[in-house]
Amino acid sequence: MRGRRFLLLLMMWLPLAVSAADNGYLKELIDHARAKHLAQRPEWLNLLHYKPYPYRPGWRSLADDPAFFNAPDGKTDAEAELDATLASFFSDTQETDKIQNPQCRFIARYHWLKGELHFDPALLPEQPCKRFYQWRAALNPHQITLVFPAAYLNNPASMYGHTLFRVDAKDQDEHTRLLAYSISYAANTAESRGLIFAVKGLLGYYPGLFTMTPYYIKVREYSDIENRDVWEYQLTLTPAEIDRLLMHVWELGPIRFDYYYFDENCAYHLLSLLEVARPGLELTDQFRWWAIPSDTVRAVAETPGLVKQVIYRPATATVIRQRLRYLDSLQRQLAKDLAEQKTPLTDARVSALSATDRAKVLELAYDYATYESATRSGPAADPQHMRDLLLARSGLDVPSQRPDVPEPAVRPDQGHKSSRLALGVGSRGGRQFQEIGLRPTYHDLMDDDGGYTRGAQIEFFDMAFRHYRGDDSLRLEHFTPLDIVSLTPRDEFFHPLSWKVNIGWTREHFADNDEPLVFRVNGGPGLAYNVPGSYDGRSVYYGYLEAVLDVGKRFNDDYALGGGPTVGWLTDLTDRWRVNLYARSWRYGLGDVHDSRELVLAQRYSLTRQSAVRLELFRQQEFQDYWNGGEISLHLYF
Amino acid sequence: MLKKLAVIAVIAAFPAGAMAAGSSDASGGCGVGSKVFEGQRGVAPQVLAMTTNGTFWQTVAVTLGTSGCSQDGVVKSNWKTAMFIDSNKDKLARDMSTGSGEALESLAKLIGVKDQDKAAFFRATKENFARIFASDDPTTDQVVASLKQVLSADGQLAQYAQAI
Repeated sequence: MRGRRFLLLLMMWLPLAVSAADNGYLKELIDHARAKHLAQRPEWLNLLHYKPYPYRPGWRSLADDPAFFNAPDGKTDAEAELDATLASFFSDTQETDKIQNPQCRFIARYHWLKGELHFDPALLPEQPCKRFYQWRAALNPHQITLVFPAAYLNNPASMYGHTLFRVDAKDQDEHTRLLAYSISYAANTAESRGLIFAVKGLLGYYPGLFTMTPYYIKVREYSDIENRDVWEYQLTLTPAEIDRLLMHVWELGPIRFDYYYFDENCAYHLLSLLEVARPGLELTDQFRWWAIPSDTVRAVAETPGLVKQVIYRPATATVIRQRLRYLDSLQRQLAKDLAEQKTPLTDARVSALSATDRAKVLELAYDYATYESATRSGPAADPQHMRDLLLARSGLDVPSQRPDVPEPAVRPDQGHKSSRLALGVGSRGGRQFQEIGLRPTYHDLMDDDGGYTRGAQIEFFDMAFRHYRGDDSLRLEHFTPLDIVSLTPRDEFFHPLSWKVNIGWTREHFADNDEPLVFRVNGGPGLAYNVPGSYDGRSVYYGYLEAVLDVGKRFNDDYALGGGPTVGWLTDLTDRWRVNLYARSWRYGLGDVHDSRELVLAQRYSLTRQSAVRLELFRQQEFQDYWNGGEISLHLYF
Repeated sequence: MLKKLAVIAVIAAFPAGAMAAGSSDASGGCGVGSKVFEGQRGVAPQVLAMTTNGTFWQTVAVTLGTSGCSQDGVVKSNWKTAMFIDSNKDKLARDMSTGSGEALESLAKLIGVKDQDKAAFFRATKENFARIFASDDPTTDQVVASLKQVLSADGQLAQYAQAI
């Protein structure tokens, strides 16, 4: 098997070696390409995915697959790759199901070079590339759409959201988009354990691949199973630009890029496809260190003239919530009982409803039963019961009662930017301080959640430095590499579990007033509820039960292990004004035995989309000492 | 967390474009256990089991190369309708029960229902819901066969029966 492949490779290379030596036209083309400096042109470098090294001078391709290069040193030498690519175009390999002629295999390169060098078809005959053109005809491309499923906390791979392209065909409209194809780039792994995925993903352990899937499969995955709202940004790419993009996707199909969760991820690679499609776009440059999907969507939306129209596709659970608004409490209860088979369809309360109300109740019951079986542990939906619900519904002569879900006021590209600088002054135990904080990414519960997923806090590497009046130095107050909080309210229809996990260094106050940095890991499950009468998560009370481990030299035995509850109330008093009032009480029962408690009133008032003021008042206890304090700070998003 | 196995018919992600340089499926059928429907078309999904442990979902991605279902990353044209029905059966059932919806619109598009016949098509599927979904858990073959019958019996829609 291996031998055969080698032989095949050799056969492909042999004619190249011959032609390079005695092909006058190839030499002419190479000279011409040199004279025009084609190998240094951004179009060529984009086709090869060349990027500068982050830490040292020089360029290399991000592609990690030798099959992507015709020259042995093609990954680092763009000119050698250009020469070898030109040479390969003289191959007379005939296309089969298994192999392609290099002109077809690298069809985007071929067409760009042909345009620049004006190939003479008599000296360099053009290959028909039937497979490519059949593929393109099947896609029938008319429009490219950037699809953004919102953040999904319960899967580390999609915590920040995800992006993919959809190829919209000429004969589709907004009602038949299910029939389009999607192009996505993802780590190719079956790893299901979150932590292992996270670690390996950070280190580029997984191969990333571009794949093509019918969009209806993606809609099922995002809307129905994961219940993520999806935003579809229709782009203005011209037919020629769409052609370039698809030609390049064709080249990239089998090519492996090492997948890096933070930087070389789905969002980054999609931007690089746009750069190939529309020369002159410079989208990837701003994402050298990390590329958060919502930030890349913002970059696309902020590029003048790149976005045509934005379509909002609410998730199944979002539609169910909207349906609930149109029912009274009796009807809601009836729908739930029907879904859970606690009430028979023959129930007198059902037949007492008007046809329209009955349709509303039956449709909600079916949607809810589907949602439950797709998302919750427990038995799958009873197919006979599901059919009975639909059968009863089909007998009603009223139109669909599915309500339109209004598009959220703030789109993902319009929300606050994901890095944040905080400047604050305050007082703690009578000592005044100034503080400067930096959060590289991405959103916390007190930030304005327009454009973000409500109740999903994800912060990486948040840090703050503080200077107390009278001290000569600035000290690190906390450094938190990872801080995730999921706060999702439960009601009679939805029963999500909230949870949090936090890893980092923070100051701990000891009896002798020493305040060293200690390492802390804490986290645990929680429950949150809408304040009665509200369904929109604007006023939520919650509780968490956490375990906590502190490690530091100052502790007896170098550690303290404990835990305890937090209870709180998070509410929006106005669109701009949010309040979080909470109390936490931790008891460390192992290691250095002590208590840690706090009562906090935190408030945020948004000045603009990219700025806010926060005021925090607190009373805290660590070991035997109590103190009060407060801080006012200005938060700037960038 | 309780473990649950929800079986959901999902077509694996096809490798984009040239990836399909791989091999063609020797069986020539589309998917596992192809069945023959009316002598020419097998209907069987690539069924992937999606499991959840209650914490998060995980899709098992399988790269197919050029298979019986797809050529270079796109579903072969003679499979498009069967594959669509197979993957969207639940949504189609829901849409037909109200005579409207995205999945039903897409099906109409796939079988070439003209604009002037769409309302009749939607109404026919709603009125004949009990026949089209004749059992609790019909196979795709059964849905296709009964939909064909329903259309054939309708003067205005008979022209589309062959397209399914």
